[in-house]
Amino acid sequence: MTELAVLQAVRLKGRVSRDDLAATLGGDFVDVVDRLVGSGLLLDGPTLRLSPEGRGRLEGLLADERSHVDTAIVLAAYDEFRSVNAEFKALVTDWQLKDGQPNTHEDVGYDAAVLTSLDDVHRRVTPTIAALATQLPRLSRYSVKLQTALDNIHAGETMWLARPLIDSYHTVWFELHEELILAAGRTRETDDA
Amino acid sequence: MSTRPVILLDGDASSPPEVLGHKGHGIDMMRRNGLPVPPAFCITAEVGARYRAEREATVNAIWDDVLAGMRTLEAATSRTFGRGPHPLLVSVRSGAAVSMPGMMDTLLDLGFSDDVEKGLAAEGSAEFARDSRRRFTESYQRIVTGPAPDDPYQQLRAAIESVFASWDSPRAVAYRAHHGLDDRGGTAVVVQAMVFGNINANSGAGVVFSRNPMTGANEEFGEWLPGSQGDDVVSGTVDVQPIATLRSRQPGVYDQLISAASLLERLSADVQEVEFTIQDGALWLLQKRAAKRSAQAAVRLALQLLDDGLIDEAETLRRVAPAHVEALLQPSLQPETRMAAQLLATGLPAGPGVASGRAYTEVDAAIEAADRGEDVILVRNHTSPDDIHGMLVARGIVTETGGATSHAAVVSRELGRAAVVGCGSGVAESLAGKVVTVDGNQGEVREGSLQLSAWSEDNTPELRELAGIARRVSPLRAHARGDYPRLDRHTEAEVRSAMASGHSDVVSASPLLAMLAAIRLSGVS
Repeated sequence: MTELAVLQAVRLKGRVSRDDLAATLGGDFVDVVDRLVGSGLLLDGPTLRLSPEGRGRLEGLLADERSHVDTAIVLAAYDEFRSVNAEFKALVTDWQLKDGQPNTHEDVGYDAAVLTSLDDVHRRVTPTIAALATQLPRLSRYSVKLQTALDNIHAGETMWLARPLIDSYHTVWFELHEELILAAGRTRETDDA
Repeated sequence: MSTRPVILLDGDASSPPEVLGHKGHGIDMMRRNGLPVPPAFCITAEVGARYRAEREATVNAIWDDVLAGMRTLEAATSRTFGRGPHPLLVSVRSGAAVSMPGMMDTLLDLGFSDDVEKGLAAEGSAEFARDSRRRFTESYQRIVTGPAPDDPYQQLRAAIESVFASWDSPRAVAYRAHHGLDDRGGTAVVVQAMVFGNINANSGAGVVFSRNPMTGANEEFGEWLPGSQGDDVVSGTVDVQPIATLRSRQPGVYDQLISAASLLERLSADVQEVEFTIQDGALWLLQKRAAKRSAQAAVRLALQLLDDGLIDEAETLRRVAPAHVEALLQPSLQPETRMAAQLLATGLPAGPGVASGRAYTEVDAAIEAADRGEDVILVRNHTSPDDIHGMLVARGIVTETGGATSHAAVVSRELGRAAVVGCGSGVAESLAGKVVTVDGNQGEVREGSLQLSAWSEDNTPELRELAGIARRVSPLRAHARGDYPRLDRHTEAEVRSAMASGHSDVVSASPLLAMLAAIRLSGVS
């Protein structure tokens, strides 16, 4: 189980430092990481990444994980996610752009309205993740990470909305989207970008 | 009520754009000068304003006038609205006092019924009648948001109401806010007899400019699409052709079109953008407006119009906004450089800026190339979270699929990367390995590493010429050097205080900008 979580986290991040990996997993998995490096599944360096063998191993573990789920529940969760996904993506764009120009964040009322709709998105996605986690317990971690990002945003650190390379709301959201596409047996080509 | 609610645009309307709308005013002006324009009438902007307060009563009160307007269109075209054998179709277009291109609604091909389709099929072809009806049904559904009623007069009324209401659409409101336009009032509506660029191969639609609005070169410029209606050209979804191909296909029509554009330019004393349709070899002009232009073109065209005696020196300076000059002084992709380079892909501009480099389609290869010191452009079908390290090392980002809210768009904006998204499938393969320039302002990918450059007040001939004119017109003469008091900045406040202190000459780092500010402050006419 832990091996799957580590390999999948590295895949989703592409390349990731050991510190950032520990942060996204919510715990230190030094032993697991060292073992995966030792067996050649992870390539070590300033950042960790998957070797071709590691990618193969991850695919096997994911297929095994999927074989135990109730497909109907996963597909229902996927549909619910898609319905809120468009709203979330629009609000991130609204945060970045105002009237087609970069948002200078001088209009406090405008920014507040965007962040209020984020609260609404969060209320809608939380039960979806809970339903998914009954089938794929590993994914409950996404609720925690989204909540952390949201708490940081509420505390005024708005970079936690969309900044890449940290587990911002947008970063976690897109990784969750990738997980859902995988779990539902879809591809990004058949989904939206 | 100060004017009639419905005014015929027969060249004799003699009302300002505030009443007729910009579009209606242009149509009336073209008719007055004997240009071929399909018959039209307008419902005034005053009615549009009243509609916003009281919808049903406003339309009821003017409906008899609208019907009378339709009778004149029928008489002028020898056609009948809503029935055969020679049915009349109309377009219903918005027209505010100030042009707001693409912001409000337009409906084409109105007035369909089964009987009308039969009539059109007999006059043209079954395919033409079907194509026109499909265009009508789709645009009606999209804009009025509901299935089209069978009664052509109900179609007309719903379309007019929909155009009136589009004054308050979010995009129109945002456009007015962004351009500082008055939010009160409302839009006029133009109802015009349809002409058909889709009737046969000897037909088409397009837009022509009396001079090039991108580079400012004194040459006609435009695009058209054979066998199409105007919305195809505007939508950008179909490959349009440069206007030069019209010259080889229909030289007579081309000459007539160019001389009309040139006449309108002389009459309006400004560079014109003219929308046209060719129906079975006959040219029709649908609307005209002052051409939108780049900052480069704004300066060059103002100087040309002065040389041609169409405007005086004070007006020349009014045609150049300080923002144009400020933009020109920043490094940017010059239009003539851009237009000379091969266009490789177009998409949605998603991250502002311009960047050049070699296109890589794989993240690892992109990172290795960047490590070797290469400038990298990352081109992907779409981006995912695990592409982030490739996006970080890239100077520009291009995707095949995805829109303004896609992962690539959001992350590019966060990283400050030039990005063009949704360029269509096959683009990654066709760009791979090439040195390209990503123009995230225009939404284009062009061949080669295009250099950015800036104009300067000292060295660019156009700006020197403009500064020379400004020194003759401005109440405050600004110089790059000399024994005069120094103006630290060219803000309005500084310029005002220099003028208030009785200075007639100052030294400034941006003499032209200082004088443009002075001219605007003093309202020189």
